[in-house]
Amino acid sequence: MRTRAAIGHLAFLALLLGAWDAALRFGWADPTLLPHFATVLETLWRLLLDPDFRVHLGVTALEVLLAFVIAAPLAVSTGCILGEKLHFGRVVNPVLHFVLAIPQSIFLPIFILLFGIGISAKVIFGVTHAYFVIAVTTVAAVRSVPLPLVTAARAFGATPRQVYTRVYLPAMLPLVVTGLRIGMIFNIIGVLLAEMYGARFGVGHKILGWGESFDLPKLLAGILLVSVLTIVLNELMRAWELRAGRWRPATWQV
Amino acid sequence: MSAGFIEVKGVSKTFTGHLAPVEALDRVSFSVAEGQFVSLVGPSGCGKSTLLQILAGLMESSHGEAHIAGECVSGPMPEKVGMVFQEALLLPWKTAAVNIGFPLELRGVPKPARRERAHALLSLVGMCDVADRYPHELSVGMRQRIAIARGLVHDPSVVLMDEPFAVLDEQTRVRMGQELLAIWQETRKTILFITHSLSEAIYLSDTVLVMGPRPGRILDVLETGLPRPRTPEMIGSEVFGRLRNRIWQLIGEAQP
Repeated sequence: MRTRAAIGHLAFLALLLGAWDAALRFGWADPTLLPHFATVLETLWRLLLDPDFRVHLGVTALEVLLAFVIAAPLAVSTGCILGEKLHFGRVVNPVLHFVLAIPQSIFLPIFILLFGIGISAKVIFGVTHAYFVIAVTTVAAVRSVPLPLVTAARAFGATPRQVYTRVYLPAMLPLVVTGLRIGMIFNIIGVLLAEMYGARFGVGHKILGWGESFDLPKLLAGILLVSVLTIVLNELMRAWELRAGRWRPATWQV
Repeated sequence: MSAGFIEVKGVSKTFTGHLAPVEALDRVSFSVAEGQFVSLVGPSGCGKSTLLQILAGLMESSHGEAHIAGECVSGPMPEKVGMVFQEALLLPWKTAAVNIGFPLELRGVPKPARRERAHALLSLVGMCDVADRYPHELSVGMRQRIAIARGLVHDPSVVLMDEPFAVLDEQTRVRMGQELLAIWQETRKTILFITHSLSEAIYLSDTVLVMGPRPGRILDVLETGLPRPRTPEMIGSEVFGRLRNRIWQLIGEAQP
């Protein structure tokens, strides 16, 4: 089953690259707008060796990391409190959903006005992107814990602390990890968007610049790099998610 | 009658909800002797489960008090009182054996001792081969056997069972009843068994406590007097039928 899926994925990739090659070979695409894949790979390699570009990559990584480290604990604790305190949750939960529904990109000009074009604006924009989706998922995780399990644990003499550590946390974990993973995706969207809008450093800033100067090999190399890195990060978090939810029947796993 | 092993004295419970208060139990009193198998039957909503929750220390009574093994119930007493619920309520992220040991884990019993105890109980309920399976890999009946084993893990003197076989199909239910009797005969626990099935109550018990509809109260206490070991053929016997009719009659008369 797994090898079959892998063969399918490879075939899809080969098809994509084949179409790319064919487009150039048969003159369907303008070579100045679509450089050859080999050129893109070569450009990417040179970019990775370029100390100047590595600074940009490092800045983006730092912003993403900082934003996540700030957003995740804040959002998970918010979610726990809102999931637990029903009355409070009834008031605040809809607000979380409202904010989550608004595309945060429209606030970017305000963020830039408030926080400038340094690292802080990107980190804060990443935080606000990740925070709401993680909080909402954590609320759902708290609500998903079956109350009879809690009652049973109490009957077996569990202290309130034990109810939390032995029942609530393990029951919530897989869903919370799902939230963290999706929060990370949102976080990266936020950081890159802020970098593209106004910045002196960062991969987003570079990619925008390459686009504006029609430097297609670099632009595509940048896109390829970000894509690969985010896919790898997401897959790592998905592996964690599956591990945390190993006990769930296969049909629950997404 | 001398003080019983389980002693319930004038227990009443009124729920104060958003609307009118609901009277769930009205001065319930009974006593159960040590080592007896006693069933509590009554129509749905008569407060059977409420009574059991009070005995388990999960809920406070509005009036009256309950004593188990000479101790007044004021909170859960896991070492003295084992619990088995209608649903197995196993922790889905723990294997069968670890689930059985869970009440010990809450008390800080070290892992090897928990594991050993769990395996002894797995063999008691005839489930040795599923020790390392997760709950979702087990059938409903198997899960309930694990739950029964977990209820016995502290070697409690009393086991409270809240309709433990209600979700099982007829055949599994009868077989599980047989197995429960065998376990009871081997361990000699005092069992208080809640059910809405009259046959099940008569078949399993020494004594049947009959409860009437809300507010729940004890209508009568019947000694079944059936010989042990019980066999499924007894369900068709004349004595059995008479007991069954008697309970029907009691519950029928109590209907408003």
